Amino acid sequence: MTAIAQHQARRSGGDIVFAIVNYAVFGLLVVICAYPFYYLIINSISANDISALGDVRLWPIGFHLSNYEQVFQLKGLPLAAVVSVGRTVIGTVATVLASAFLGFMFTQERMWARKFWYRFTIITMYFSAGLIPVFIIMKNLGLTNNFWVYVLPWIVQPFNIILVKTFVESMPKELQEAAELDGANIMQIFFRVYLPNMTPILATIAIFSAVAQWNSFQDTLIYITDQSLYTLQYLLYMFINQASSLAAAAQDAGGNLGAIAAAATSQTPTSIRMTVSVIVVLPIIFIYPLFQRFFVKGIMLGAVKG
Amino acid sequence: MKLNRKVALVATAMLTAGALVSCSAGTAEPEKTASGSFPEAWDETITIDVFDGLANYMGIQQGWFAKLVKDKFNMELNIIAPNVAGGGDTLYNTRVSAGDLGDLIITDKGQKLDELIEGGLVADVSQYYPAMTSAAEYDKAVEKLNEGKDGVYAFPTSVSSLLPTEPSEGLNPTFGPYVRWDLYKELGYPEIGTLEDLLPILKDMQELEPKAENGKPVYGFSLFKDWDGNMMVTGKQPTTFYGYDEIGFVLAKADGSDYQGILDSDGEYIRTMRLYYEANQLGLVDPESTTQNYDTLYSKFQNGQVLFSWWPWLGQTAFNTEDNMAAGKGFEIAPLEDMTVFSYGAEAYGGKQVFAIGSKAEDPERIAAFVDWLYSAEGAYANSAQTQGSAGPQGLTWDLNDAGEPELTEFGTKVFLQGGGNVPEEWGGGDYADGVSALNAPSVLPVSVDPATGYPYSYTFWPSYQEATANALTDDWSAHMGDATNTMDYLESNDKLLVAPGASYTAPADSSEIETLRNQVKDVVVQYSWQMVFAENDAQFDSLLKTLQETASGLGYDKVLEVDMTNAKDQNAQREAIAAEFTE
Amino acid sequence: MVSQAVLTEVAATAIEESADTRKRRRGRKQRTERGGKTSIGMFLCIAPFLVLMFLFSYFPLYGWVYSLYDYKPALGLEGSEFVGLQWFQMLVSSPTQMAQIGQVLLNTLAISFLGIATSVLPLAFAVFLNEIRAKWFRNSVQTLTTLPNFISWVLVYMIAFSLFSSSGLVNNVLTDWGLISTPIKFLDTDQNVWLAMTLWSIWKGLGWGAIIYLAAISGIDQSLYESAEIDGAGRFQKMWYITVPQLMPTYLVLLLLSIANLLNNGMEQYYVFQNAFNKQYIQVLDLYVYNIGMTGNSLSMATAIGMLKSVISVILLFSVNWISKRVRGTSIV
Repeated sequence: MTAIAQHQARRSGGDIVFAIVNYAVFGLLVVICAYPFYYLIINSISANDISALGDVRLWPIGFHLSNYEQVFQLKGLPLAAVVSVGRTVIGTVATVLASAFLGFMFTQERMWARKFWYRFTIITMYFSAGLIPVFIIMKNLGLTNNFWVYVLPWIVQPFNIILVKTFVESMPKELQEAAELDGANIMQIFFRVYLPNMTPILATIAIFSAVAQWNSFQDTLIYITDQSLYTLQYLLYMFINQASSLAAAAQDAGGNLGAIAAAATSQTPTSIRMTVSVIVVLPIIFIYPLFQRFFVKGIMLGAVKG
Repeated sequence: MKLNRKVALVATAMLTAGALVSCSAGTAEPEKTASGSFPEAWDETITIDVFDGLANYMGIQQGWFAKLVKDKFNMELNIIAPNVAGGGDTLYNTRVSAGDLGDLIITDKGQKLDELIEGGLVADVSQYYPAMTSAAEYDKAVEKLNEGKDGVYAFPTSVSSLLPTEPSEGLNPTFGPYVRWDLYKELGYPEIGTLEDLLPILKDMQELEPKAENGKPVYGFSLFKDWDGNMMVTGKQPTTFYGYDEIGFVLAKADGSDYQGILDSDGEYIRTMRLYYEANQLGLVDPESTTQNYDTLYSKFQNGQVLFSWWPWLGQTAFNTEDNMAAGKGFEIAPLEDMTVFSYGAEAYGGKQVFAIGSKAEDPERIAAFVDWLYSAEGAYANSAQTQGSAGPQGLTWDLNDAGEPELTEFGTKVFLQGGGNVPEEWGGGDYADGVSALNAPSVLPVSVDPATGYPYSYTFWPSYQEATANALTDDWSAHMGDATNTMDYLESNDKLLVAPGASYTAPADSSEIETLRNQVKDVVVQYSWQMVFAENDAQFDSLLKTLQETASGLGYDKVLEVDMTNAKDQNAQREAIAAEFTE
Repeated sequence: MVSQAVLTEVAATAIEESADTRKRRRGRKQRTERGGKTSIGMFLCIAPFLVLMFLFSYFPLYGWVYSLYDYKPALGLEGSEFVGLQWFQMLVSSPTQMAQIGQVLLNTLAISFLGIATSVLPLAFAVFLNEIRAKWFRNSVQTLTTLPNFISWVLVYMIAFSLFSSSGLVNNVLTDWGLISTPIKFLDTDQNVWLAMTLWSIWKGLGWGAIIYLAAISGIDQSLYESAEIDGAGRFQKMWYITVPQLMPTYLVLLLLSIANLLNNGMEQYYVFQNAFNKQYIQVLDLYVYNIGMTGNSLSMATAIGMLKSVISVILLFSVNWISKRVRGTSIV
């Protein structure tokens, strides 16, 4: 150990330069990435007409909170928030477990036609039959206006499965061999041996999945007309759309703009869009760091060697 | 062996496919016995799904309108608005393919309606029609709408008591050359012979006020891009000052005396392109035009950064605030000598949209009664397109004064002139604006006359209102325009209005081939139009124009133009016919 | 300094070990093939999931038949007109049209290739971030750099407009400092469109894309680093010979998936940034399809194009996979 300690103590000038440059580059990246979000925040609390001109750039002008008031007073917001949280939690748990399981199973060479089914799964990422056929199937399965439409189609996610499979393949084979020698069956091996050691990738999938669930509104748009099943995102999306369907309406009007004249005078200001964006992103920013502690270097892998 | 198993699997899948697909047809409700009139009251509270292509609100109708509907029909309206739900036609397509579009449907007539009828999604309500006494007033329109359809399937919107040769718009036309009147006055009301004469005048105005109150530069024209469809939207507006309106790629004059393709080198559209190009050379065009959207533009109008507006509902609504008008500032129509502003005549047979009752509705009778009510005076006051000026329920926002004339109540004044007010609980509570009918489909035009009072449903026409709202700006404008009381009055008295008779013409839907060609061409038209406006010099402008014409031609412009010309001529034939019919 | 030989030894051990595993796996496979020990039981474990996938992804493919009709939802399939290959023929109907599609494809491929070329950036991001010692800084960077991912493109454009328009922040600052006399046209120009779009994509996806690699890094066996340390390996050597190779499998899989996505750039980003001046270069396939309104009224045309893109994607996927098998010895999927 002394050798290492000595080595570490001998931090050369090159090391320090590198550290400085590294910190500086990342600092710059943080500014570039965080500034736009800061921009959204200050615009959401600035006077709407000044904001629409794009003049609020460094600090708020004409501070007011009425945008937030307006959004929080939306009818059905609390219920929608509950629905959103519900689908995020249940959906994420379901997809994480399913992806982990499938990713693990696809590493098992002994499985019948493994390669075929793996490819069967993967290529679904590249084709889509279009809205109407899928809609008809959902309807016939009774999934329209049904909470489970938020969960069932999300369970099998080829991308997540690929990630897990790649991760498992990088784990030592000895793990499985040892467990098999002890007489465990495949389920036990998965749940007792592999799953607990997959935390980094599970955390990754959980984040991806949770964010996707939280942000999704297309499925609500297509499958749900029962208001008690609206998600938060969808409610906010509709709120934004309410007076800004103008462009589409204008193009449809074919010249007779009188029809949309009325709507043209009551646009949803851009700053409301920004407010909504801030509201939707904030929970994610608060939850995300909680996942970061899972990105801890694997400590158990050394144990197998020993 | 493995192969056989796979085949069997696939075969079973196919069979299940067939079974599931056939599961989606629906059948119409059994007929109920015909009734002479509707019930007085309904026992069960129901919520109906209203699929409304015009609505800008999604959800359950709130406020005073909801209370009216609940009290009368024991019914709640769940508005399903594709505009709000997003995704273009997605919602329409998915609901239609599932066989249930809605209980009450507000959609386009023409091919869309025909398809719905053919597909069995709309109910035939001829059995309830005899009981619909208010709708019977507009029987002619109803008949025409359902011509050749073997039943009563749809009801018209935007009907009125006006003749088709009368303008449908109200006090202000849809289009017009509106300028900052206060600056125009400062210049001494210079004469404006024709469209191009506006340029030096705008330039002088810009010199008078180079910076707006917020310190930003002022421009004569500020354009935007998000509404561009068949052509550059802002490019087409000035053509309307001369009586032209678009139909596909054709500019047709309201009285049928001229038809042009938009790419004709000596046509009005290209004339406008040249106008903007020269304006840009003079520094009159906002450089942010190419990248900004309507939102930003509206803000600029509010802040006084723009001098010219093609629409009263942009310039006036944004800038003509009470304070500004009291100071004599605001947008008013400029006296262009040779203009003949295009106006949409009152549609004799109703507007583009129609009401229809869904075939899967549980209580079609009640919905029919509701639709009927929309045509009654009470319904006309309560339901009209948002902010189009319908006065609201009698007793709440207006009432008859001692002289028997309609007049806004204190609450009405508060709502319409002072920005809003909270509705008393017994009327439904909430902010007035939130309680407005979300249907956004005028059953009866607000400019139509209420037979009970003799005045239009819209309060903007009542003498009591007009007296109350005179101000420095309108007084000055009126004085200069021969004491005209409002823009429409001025245009009509001076023969500057060209009304296209409201023939309710719907162009037949494009064949898929034409549609695809059209989409390609319009893309190119829009792109080059913008580039022409911002061309550096005459030579570049001309070469861009030439390239545009050639490219468009190569993509099939001529073929589409032919179709559009035929449609335009048909439209005109119908306009002439209906003008003749109603002047008997 | 550490000798090259020692380093290669460390790397070699790592490679050897994975080669070992591969050999053992292959060996096991051979045994199974000969001994017929394929497990149906395992298949049955995943069967329910396959059924789900079949239901939601494969079964709806019957909808591809719409591309042979002039499908109108209200009339259903039975009521719609059969038109055969009309839609496919329309795509190649006139020279001007073909030129347009040619340009569109060029835009799409250019942007895709730029994206692939820069796909190594999230990996580099993760590797270098890993070198930051201060945990609080590392975590903050990780969280804050993912923010752009959550901002929708519509809002990104609002921000871009505010910063880069003719009277935007950047132009104002540059003019104030006397560096320029007329505003630079950042947004409404046809110069460097592909590059600009790629930079925006990187900005939006860098932090988010790095998550996968950060997770993979935390799964790397620490003993590898320790033995390298003992042998006197420096920071860069550890990064290059241990971290990067360990991340390679993940990177290659993601690379393969993006190649298969060559034609699918998405639409939203290009839609908000497009205007008359950059349109020629910004119109990627998805945007083109949207612009010419194909998807709006003609579901059949949209289905036809979707079909073509799907087929091409799958072909690309398997081609690259096959190439990888030839070159590297193992396939990726």
